[in-house]
Amino acid sequence: MRIADKMAFNQVNQNLSKNRSDMADLQNQAATQKRITKPSDDPLASARVLAARTEERGNTQFIKNINNARSFLEFSDQSLGELSEILVRAKELAISQSNDASGNAESRMVTASEVEQIYNQAVQIGNRKLGERYIFGGYKTQTMPFSQAGEYFGDDGDMKIQTHKDSFVAMNIPGNKVFLGKGLGGDGIVRARYEAPTNVEQLKEFQQEELQRKEQNQELEQNYLETRGPASERRNSRMDKQDPVTGGAGINLFTTLRNLEVSLRTNDKDGIQETLDTLDQAISQVVLARSEVGSRIMSVNNTMDSLQKAVVDNKVTASELEDADAFQVISDINKTDSTLKATLETSGKLIQPSLLDFLR
Amino acid sequence: MSKISAMMDTGKRSLMNSQTALQTVGHNIANKSTEGFSRQRVELMTNQPITEGNLQIGMGARAGVVTRVNNPWLEKQIQKEGTSMGYQDSRTNALSRVEQIYNEQANKGLNQYMTDFFNSFRELSNNPESLASRTMVRESAAALTKDFGRVVGQLKDVQEDIDGQIKTTVDEINQITKEIASLNEKVQMVEIQNTPANDERDRRDLLLKKLGEKIDISWAEGKDGMVTVTAGRTGILVSGSGSSELKAQETGDRDRLEIFFVGTGAPANITKQITGGRIGGALDVRDHIIEDMLAHVDNMAYTLAKEVNAAHIEGFDKSGRPGVLFFDMPEDVKGAAATINLNKTIFNDVGRIAAGAQPGAAGDNTVANVISSLQNRQVMDGGSSTLDDYYNTQVGQIGAIAQRAAKAQESQKNVLGQLTNIRESISGVSLDEETTKMIEFQKTYDASARLIKTADEMFDTVLNLKRL
Repeated sequence: MRIADKMAFNQVNQNLSKNRSDMADLQNQAATQKRITKPSDDPLASARVLAARTEERGNTQFIKNINNARSFLEFSDQSLGELSEILVRAKELAISQSNDASGNAESRMVTASEVEQIYNQAVQIGNRKLGERYIFGGYKTQTMPFSQAGEYFGDDGDMKIQTHKDSFVAMNIPGNKVFLGKGLGGDGIVRARYEAPTNVEQLKEFQQEELQRKEQNQELEQNYLETRGPASERRNSRMDKQDPVTGGAGINLFTTLRNLEVSLRTNDKDGIQETLDTLDQAISQVVLARSEVGSRIMSVNNTMDSLQKAVVDNKVTASELEDADAFQVISDINKTDSTLKATLETSGKLIQPSLLDFLR
Repeated sequence: MSKISAMMDTGKRSLMNSQTALQTVGHNIANKSTEGFSRQRVELMTNQPITEGNLQIGMGARAGVVTRVNNPWLEKQIQKEGTSMGYQDSRTNALSRVEQIYNEQANKGLNQYMTDFFNSFRELSNNPESLASRTMVRESAAALTKDFGRVVGQLKDVQEDIDGQIKTTVDEINQITKEIASLNEKVQMVEIQNTPANDERDRRDLLLKKLGEKIDISWAEGKDGMVTVTAGRTGILVSGSGSSELKAQETGDRDRLEIFFVGTGAPANITKQITGGRIGGALDVRDHIIEDMLAHVDNMAYTLAKEVNAAHIEGFDKSGRPGVLFFDMPEDVKGAAATINLNKTIFNDVGRIAAGAQPGAAGDNTVANVISSLQNRQVMDGGSSTLDDYYNTQVGQIGAIAQRAAKAQESQKNVLGQLTNIRESISGVSLDEETTKMIEFQKTYDASARLIKTADEMFDTVLNLKRL
């Protein structure tokens, strides 16, 4: 082949610019420690990196959600623990005063004062606050849930917190369920009512059902009003009363404690004995609620573990996709460097000699 | 029998031939680096001999014609590949800019802002009573809408930039076609005397290549040595010694430049006919790829606004008022990303963010949950992908397009490089070769002079016969 001078120059130019641009690219990788600096470096991987980052950010947020829900749940658990303790104390008092062997009118009078204190403590527990939020008010976190008379001003909303892509967990237990025994399941367990709505249709359905339920609750309220009465009324008529709407049985802690107190004050031995049963049920109502809270804490902890693992996994995935292999980059740099030097050396030789150099 | 004077004459002509050849060598050396130059050669041929009796006596050499060493088919192929090169070049350049708009390797982009937006609703769901988490929702929503605006703005910037390039390129095209037309005239003038117009043809070939890099042309040479150049299907740019212009102008329907052919009649819009060269590549990015990306980002913004609004309006705000629209609803899908905006009412009072499904329940976070769930709902592509999937697919796609373009550019560069190499091997100047020729013709020159001297001495001998 005939070689024109321009060919040689072109060739030298091309080779040098290729070596130099390879070198620049590698240097960039070494400096950023990233294999991908723009989508076209690896289109598939860069789309996957984005997805991994979204996932990672989402998971980090879920971890925050869980931390928040956990403190709420743990505080509820602690409060329910105290509640069941004071109820147990009330039961002890009731047992000790339920027969004439260990109790008399006077001791019952003294005990009544303690039961009154227990009652007050129960109201206080019902009005517990975490930060600025009442934990037993349902959605109505800004309104004090219980009056001294034991009336409930909250609602039965379950605050659902997203703990994973498709799962929500309720972080609260509405006070009317625990303290008033309303809206419990047939087994007496306090459960979150609904799956959290995740789209507009479900949201509308949810709102519709909530409206209906509100009406039902009002009806329920009226039924309760009837059964609430002076201590002299036959307590049998109140005990084991079926919830006319949900069919669930529940105990009103405040009425129970109040009944006990009244029975003690009136030296009503039968009344005290009747309260024993109700107190048992009340304790189990609180214990069941507490176990529900406990199981939520457990499930949230499990999710937390898998989330923390997922965060790490996602980081690894993103890193595998986009990070430069430092070892590879450095060895490539060395390789390209020697190629560049060789090109420069040979280029010099290629361009230098011409016939003219040998003519004198 | 030959005459001394004939010998002198042969020597003289040989001197002249050597000089011509050396001049051509000089021309070659001088143009060694001239773009598009083809080396030239003096075609020497033996002179008409004289017949005397049964002797035929050679009368030396004469310089026939100066030709250029050139392969016209190769030139045409280079011109064609140059059109592809120009197309790939401008496409790759524009695409690398488009790609940067979607590059989240270093900067925050739509993907991150969107995640932040949904996460802010998760935070709101954690604590719907808090003004801090509400403010976060506002900030993240404002940042998201701003980033939608950024993407649209930057895409439009690239389009505008392309318009600028098109305008410059069209001006260059007009310059080139004018020069080709004038070269046509020169070529014809020179060649009518049966002398090849080497330099003019080289220059014209080069200009055709340059023109082809800018716009896809078809051209043919007529019998008179003039080329006719057509751009697209109908724009006859050069015909004989006359040229017509192109014009880049905005049309009424759209604020983008279109290409018009200004012939004798009314200017004709030939934008759609242009599919190659720098302009073709730029038009492809401007009118197809960027328009496509704009449509996608609009689609995303519109769907996001629609879905968030639908949920938000069902909710109730901090003080139990029914929810308002969260985003000002864009009227149309087209342009949605540029117009999407946080509702002023919410912007001014974060208490108006409707987190709950019921009035008067401060801790109700149902609507916040519905909105944050939108991130994992398949609301795009007719219910087959989430907003994230949809966006990430776009990023992957533009990455793939840019990557393919860069690879095509690279391989086209190689093709063109090889062809140029072949061209150089035929038409390029080699200094060694020219030096050799220089020595060769210098020796011939020396020897010819010696011949004249010998003839001169022979004359002297003859003239001195009488004196002897």
